[in-house]
Amino acid sequence: MISARSQSFVLGLIGISLFLVAWEVIGTYHLAGLTWPPLSTVLAFLTTPAKLPLFGRAAAASFTSVAIGYLCGAFGGLALALVSHLVAPVRPGLDRLVAVIHAIPSIALAPLLIVLASADATPPVISGLGVGYIFYVAATSGLATASASHRDLFAVLGASRLSVTLRLDLPSAFPAIASAMKLSVPIAFIGAIIGEWFGASRGLGLLIVSAMQNFQIPLLWSAVLITAIASLTLFALFSLAERLVQERMR
Amino acid sequence: MTATAASISHLLRRYWAVALVVAGWQIWVSAAGLSSIVLPGPLAVAADFASDPLSYAQPAALTFVVALAGLLFGFALGAGLAILSWSSRILNGLLTPLGLIFTSIPVVTLIPIIARLLGYDLRTVVAIVSLICFFPAFVYVGAGLRALPPGSDDLFRVFGGSKLQKFTRLVLPSAVPNLMLAFRLTAPEAVLAAVVAEFLMGTDGLGYMFRKAAGEFDTERALATSLIATITSVACFGLALAAERRVLRRWT
Repeated sequence: MISARSQSFVLGLIGISLFLVAWEVIGTYHLAGLTWPPLSTVLAFLTTPAKLPLFGRAAAASFTSVAIGYLCGAFGGLALALVSHLVAPVRPGLDRLVAVIHAIPSIALAPLLIVLASADATPPVISGLGVGYIFYVAATSGLATASASHRDLFAVLGASRLSVTLRLDLPSAFPAIASAMKLSVPIAFIGAIIGEWFGASRGLGLLIVSAMQNFQIPLLWSAVLITAIASLTLFALFSLAERLVQERMR
Repeated sequence: MTATAASISHLLRRYWAVALVVAGWQIWVSAAGLSSIVLPGPLAVAADFASDPLSYAQPAALTFVVALAGLLFGFALGAGLAILSWSSRILNGLLTPLGLIFTSIPVVTLIPIIARLLGYDLRTVVAIVSLICFFPAFVYVGAGLRALPPGSDDLFRVFGGSKLQKFTRLVLPSAVPNLMLAFRLTAPEAVLAAVVAEFLMGTDGLGYMFRKAAGEFDTERALATSLIATITSVACFGLALAAERRVLRRWT
């Protein structure tokens, strides 16, 4: 008798394999036209030694933007959430500001940022704004989750506002922050790639858009695949971290 | 009198930060004496919009309709597939990891691939928006179909309800709040996705209008276009929120 868990694991593997086989078959028999290459062609293109420097340079540039944007967005969002938690009157105004910035289409922000900063600073900034939004929303709701009885205990023992925040509110926000860490991974990549669509000098986003315009189909799919795999890997790592935090905090 | 004062202070409490940013922008532009090609102030942008508001209406309406079509289509597909995978354990096992994978990759990077696959036209924009809306619908509805009120499953078994009865009377209704939540979260994203797709492919709509204005260094018009895009996206969120509240009131 196989356990339900290993059964769903096997089914999942089969599902993913079926997807990869379908990708290969559609590409081989041109079922979706000539712009859908088989998986093997993309992988062969990706692993051509002559292409390695090209992908390496582009990936290094994009991943640097993602890392800078992610870190600045995460700490910025958290700091802003702490401010709005500690100084209650500013909370509604900050909430609106963050929501409005989030609603501005990133393609509209990009040209502004190119003026304000530079074309190469645009990808990390857009990525940071997206990540900061998620962290702000998650942290403001997480900081409010401490139970009333804990709060009473802190009040009775004469804890200061700052010490309640650091020792009670912040720890009870950890699960929400851990979820934000995971959920903002794809957002960080999207921000960096979209930012690069506006005249960055290098990066995977630039590679994707120039390959699209010049019909370089294997190059297009390879660059997208690199981005997807990087995002997927980070997402999986942060999912593990999220589970650890949730188990520890339960 | 006090009512106006109260509503002004209410507005101020909510929008002081936004107002501060806009004012800072205008002061900076005036003080630095920036040319309007580089960066116009908010007053110049508003003036450009006020001089010819109708020219924004047609692209905004187009983007809105395309985003709405993509949203509905993507949701129908996502919810349909979630229901299918609820009905079959094997299908569920096959599809769930794929759904998870696609929600953890930056789906926006697939826009150029789809543009190349389907060609540069309006249907492609709808397809792109559908794809972006598909995964949240699939994931949220799937979760809703599995989160039944405790004990309700046993009740149906005790009274001998068939699988179809259980589905229409218990499982589907309990997934509706999740469906509406996903709808509200995805509606503004649908507009933004449509704008990005229009921008990249140069098909009609706000994205193209923005690209054309930016290409002609008509920065006032470009910024006014993005303002309209922001308003369209916020309006979509508002409509979806109203729809969600309405449905939930009827439902619970």
